[in-house]
Amino acid sequence: MERDLDNANPTILSVSQLPSRRRKGLATRRGPDSKCDSIVYPKQHWPYGSGSSSDEDGDCEEEPVDEQDIYDLISTISDPEHPHTLGQLSVVRLPDIHISPSPTELPTPDSLLTVLVELTPTINHCSLATVIGLAVRCRLEQTLPPNYRVDVRMKDGTHAQDDQVTKQLGDKERVAAALENDTLQRMVDKMLETCA
Amino acid sequence: MAKFKQWALEYVLSDDEPVQLEIAKKAAKEIESSRASSTVVGNWAASVQQWMTTSHADDDEMEDGDEGGSGDIIARAKALGFLANTLEALDKSSLRPDQVLRLIGFFGAMFSYDHKAGITASAKALRQLYSMKAFKPDMGIKIIEDVCKIKEDFRLQTAATRLELYELFLSLIQDPAVSSELRHKYGPSCGFVVDLLQVCQNERDPRNLMIWFKILALLLADYEPSPEVTEELFKVFSAYFPISLRTSATPIGITAEDLKEAVRSCFAAHQRVANQAFPFLVQKLDQGDAVTVAVKVDILKTIKACIEQYDNPQASIVPHIEKIWNSLKYEVRNGEVKETIDATLDVLRTLARKLDGTTTHKLDISSLKSYVDLVCRDCRDDLANPTYTKQAGLLLMTVISANIRAYVLYNVGFVDAIRQNLRQPKSPSHTRDLLLLLNSLLKTRMELLRDREQGHPEDEESLKTESRAHLDALFHDVYLPIWTAKDKESGSDEKDVLKQAVQGLALLVSQQVLQPDGTPVLLCSDSVCSEICSLLTVTLTKGLTLSSNDNGAEDLGLEDEVVLALRTIVMSYAAGYAEIVARARTEIKNRSWDNPSGYSLNALKDLLSRITFIGCSEIPLSIATNTSSQKPFSPLQHFVTLTTTLLELFPLSSQATATTEGSSANAHVISSLHASVIWFRDACEANEDGSSDAVLPPLKENDPEVYGQFLKTTWDERALVQLSQMAALVVRSLDEKLQVACNLAQEAFDFFQDPEELAVQKETGALTGLLTLGILQGLTPGALATLYKSDGKAERFMCDTSKFGHFPSRESDIRAAISAILANKYKGGPSTSDPESLVMKRVLDFWGNWLNEATTSTSMDQATFHAYNNIAMNVIAGAAARQDKHIPSLIPALHHAAASPQPNGELLAKSLGLIVKQNELLTPSNHAIVKRFYKQWAYSHLAKPLLQSAQPTPSEEDKRTATRHRIAVLSVATNCPFTVYQDDLPLLIRLLVTALTTRADISTPEVAWSQTISALEILVEILAHEPDAVKGYLREVIGGATRVYQECAARTEGQEQQQQQQQQGMRTACRRLALQVLGAIPSRFEERFVLAYAPPTQRMLAVACGDGVRRVREVARKARASWAKVGV
Repeated sequence: MERDLDNANPTILSVSQLPSRRRKGLATRRGPDSKCDSIVYPKQHWPYGSGSSSDEDGDCEEEPVDEQDIYDLISTISDPEHPHTLGQLSVVRLPDIHISPSPTELPTPDSLLTVLVELTPTINHCSLATVIGLAVRCRLEQTLPPNYRVDVRMKDGTHAQDDQVTKQLGDKERVAAALENDTLQRMVDKMLETCA
Repeated sequence: MAKFKQWALEYVLSDDEPVQLEIAKKAAKEIESSRASSTVVGNWAASVQQWMTTSHADDDEMEDGDEGGSGDIIARAKALGFLANTLEALDKSSLRPDQVLRLIGFFGAMFSYDHKAGITASAKALRQLYSMKAFKPDMGIKIIEDVCKIKEDFRLQTAATRLELYELFLSLIQDPAVSSELRHKYGPSCGFVVDLLQVCQNERDPRNLMIWFKILALLLADYEPSPEVTEELFKVFSAYFPISLRTSATPIGITAEDLKEAVRSCFAAHQRVANQAFPFLVQKLDQGDAVTVAVKVDILKTIKACIEQYDNPQASIVPHIEKIWNSLKYEVRNGEVKETIDATLDVLRTLARKLDGTTTHKLDISSLKSYVDLVCRDCRDDLANPTYTKQAGLLLMTVISANIRAYVLYNVGFVDAIRQNLRQPKSPSHTRDLLLLLNSLLKTRMELLRDREQGHPEDEESLKTESRAHLDALFHDVYLPIWTAKDKESGSDEKDVLKQAVQGLALLVSQQVLQPDGTPVLLCSDSVCSEICSLLTVTLTKGLTLSSNDNGAEDLGLEDEVVLALRTIVMSYAAGYAEIVARARTEIKNRSWDNPSGYSLNALKDLLSRITFIGCSEIPLSIATNTSSQKPFSPLQHFVTLTTTLLELFPLSSQATATTEGSSANAHVISSLHASVIWFRDACEANEDGSSDAVLPPLKENDPEVYGQFLKTTWDERALVQLSQMAALVVRSLDEKLQVACNLAQEAFDFFQDPEELAVQKETGALTGLLTLGILQGLTPGALATLYKSDGKAERFMCDTSKFGHFPSRESDIRAAISAILANKYKGGPSTSDPESLVMKRVLDFWGNWLNEATTSTSMDQATFHAYNNIAMNVIAGAAARQDKHIPSLIPALHHAAASPQPNGELLAKSLGLIVKQNELLTPSNHAIVKRFYKQWAYSHLAKPLLQSAQPTPSEEDKRTATRHRIAVLSVATNCPFTVYQDDLPLLIRLLVTALTTRADISTPEVAWSQTISALEILVEILAHEPDAVKGYLREVIGGATRVYQECAARTEGQEQQQQQQQQGMRTACRRLALQVLGAIPSRFEERFVLAYAPPTQRMLAVACGDGVRRVREVARKARASWAKVGV
């Protein structure tokens, strides 16, 4: 299928430039000198004893879902027209993800939360904005627990018809109807293939 | 006569090859036994007469299209085959020259008369005749002449027949006697060659072509053909160029590459085709886009082969240089494909080397000069054009650095050109490319210098007197200004420039020059080297000198480049390392490490780790600087510099860290010490040429007081563990003799504590036992032998149940680890200090009794029991790894103790898994004795007998035993590989299901949870290896895993909450494993088996995606995705 791309030359970020959970300064550095790090700076500093099977590493602390988690879920979705992810194309940006109320201050674990994701299309007449929004919506609905409400919008002023697109994405009926469409469903599936 | 006739007839009538060969052998015997009398040979030859006589008549008939004659042709061919096979079987010395000549005449005639039946056999016969002793060179000429008479009918022969003939030609042409006869007879006009070409020119069979090309190359090289004949020859093989091979269903063992090589060797056979070859090849190359990459590479390789092979380059190559250059330069300048660019550069390099001459004979410099001038003229201006800088530089570099003569003549100009362009760079990437060129020039200079001794003596001389000022100036003229200008900028382009500059600096310091007496010294002066070192060291210490806000280096690439550069630098400029270390030391000492921030600790760790790598990962080279060096060279010098500095820095802080968990500055110092040993050992292993044989003067500190003093400093746990492992590393690498000579087994105990007191000491800190452990860990069983006297140290230690100090759990771990080593490296039996093997028996009996008492008495609290039980299990584990013969008799006692009514029995049952658990101490690298199948062995003794008694039972009495035995089985199985318990799956799965659903029958929560974890872990294994075994229990497994997840996720309030917190880790592990089990199910079973469970499981997994722990959420998402596919 030969077709002119809507945006032939988007700006692409390299994977290392994307926001990630590395805490500044405490990230594990991999340099030429790191060969024996696993031996001289072991994760588990007490190598002996019996009770160490269950607490192998310290990742059993409670960490509620945060914006970075949401970002990690959707930034790996592929763009429908470029061989890059939404994160690399900056369609999805960490500062444009909001969770309210913050999961740390939830009264009970089952109370409702809203995840708001604002998308920035690479150009303001992007015809695929709706599809991208649909894919983001699908991905979040497939991966977040039932007490999360998902709201996907176009960021104000980033798209010629941002209102319209946002409206479409917010309309449950239309979203459901769109996913009945085989072509659309296939396209969304294809975009989600790159998500781990 | 009659005999031969009879044989001939039999041969003709037979279709069986072995039978035919047998007949031929008989005939050959007959001839040999008559000593080849003329009559016998005559009779033999005449035996086929009856098939020959009719031949002409048949031929005519055949030409008329009469098919009836085909039988005769076959018979005739067979009859001739009889003669040929007889010749093959015949002793090569039996025939006389006149007989050979006559036979050659006979078979040769076939090529004139009998193209249908005679050729195959004749070809074979002629090859046999050629190998006869009586063969004379002039007969070779006759053969060639005769065979060539076949003319066009040659291509009608089968490929196999043609192959026979090609081989015949090749052997004749290769034969020096025949060849001189041929040259004598035909001279340069080579009449026979023309005939041969006519006969063979249409060959297409790959196998035959391989030989034909060989023949052609030989004719060109050895027969001095006239220009006309040369041209004919060239036409023949060049027509095949570029050659390719159609892929065929039946492989013939010849590849397209073989054919290309063969044609190439024709082109390169002799310089007399130079005038045809170069224009031909260049013209092929210039066809532009029509030429594929593979063909281009073929052409370039062929040109290269020609340049390499042709003699007398002044006459054969020089006239074509301009043409070659003008065509090839575009392949690089505008080329995009790496393969063609590489191949082109290869040609240009070869050309420069050829023009230089050989290692023994140098050519006149004029042709090399005019070639390099030509290249320089064309490329120099391109250096200023960012689009072509790289390519132009590559071309220049290739030619200039091809040999020492070109280098010495032209490098000044090249460096100047780059320097001028660097003054007005067009863009950062232009600067980067120019630096790249400069760096590669420096790199090739090093290679030229290194290989100088393989070259011509003149080359070495010219290197002694080469001009150096321009290289010397590079630091101040090029690298330093770029570094200072770009260091402040942070764009990624600027970073790339800096990285090139860093590499350049390293190369610059590594440059050597030859002094008049031939010894190499460093090019740069000490002051320049030192300046470079300090320039780069700043980047290293930046983490410490800057605050965390100012040091925003996200891109570590530059820092890594600096580290690598410094490592290269201190290999040559050895004094540099001391400077770097001193600088780092000052920076570290400048601050207080009593209460450092996480940022500074990290900066300290990075700095120490890097200077360790810089100094210890390579062994320094022994090169003098141009000023006389103060210290004598030692391969160990960097290692010593670092370790003394680290020891001097230690301890950085005299305060014990508040938490034993957190890392401290002191621990980082010890970690680096450990790392330095590892790096240095690896470096020595990599350079096993004896360069690192230097030995340190041994320390003469035998007074235990020294070690005691050492331990008085504040140690934190992390540092001690590192020190212990470093000791293990060092001890491990000593051979047994040395270990024994140093009396390490005894000293391991005596160094760190009062020899009279056995237990791990209380006064010097409970953890010093770690050091004993470190030493014992690395000893070989042989070196430990002295400890195993009756009631000796080992026995007393293993049976030690004295009280613990302040840290019972740590002390227990250490004692357990030491005991495991002692139990494992025990060697009883004849010719040891324990001839009856009683020590181990006593130790095991001791623990058997102890455990039975401890599990029946009510007086021992769980924590104490746990601590001693840990030691007991490790003793058994150590012995089990070498399959100690006393273990089986101990096991019933263990089973009994596990079933005891006291809760300690539960703990014991749960801990049985320790016996087979993976243990780093019990590995061959630590010289442990580990039997290959000991886990199977231990499982069959420990767990298998319990499978029945562990099954759920209605009887109240047996219930407890069943529960305890179930805990024991699961604990053992989860520590074994799947194959060990594979045969017991039916019984085991019922235990797993019970374990998932019942926890109430276990009184200690810790044991209950750990049982659930084991059960889930085993399930994960089973689902991965043999899911069918679970098929009948899907409802229970899915239900059980779901319940486990829900129970572990539930939050409770109040008192229980605190308890929950303690079990946090186990609960998380349970959740993760339960989800892992659930997630593995849908993909392993047909949908109909799981469909019914999909809706509730999907709901539960959706909720699990909101789990509090991130890792559990990830597993939940995977499981959810795999269940989402069910029922779609």
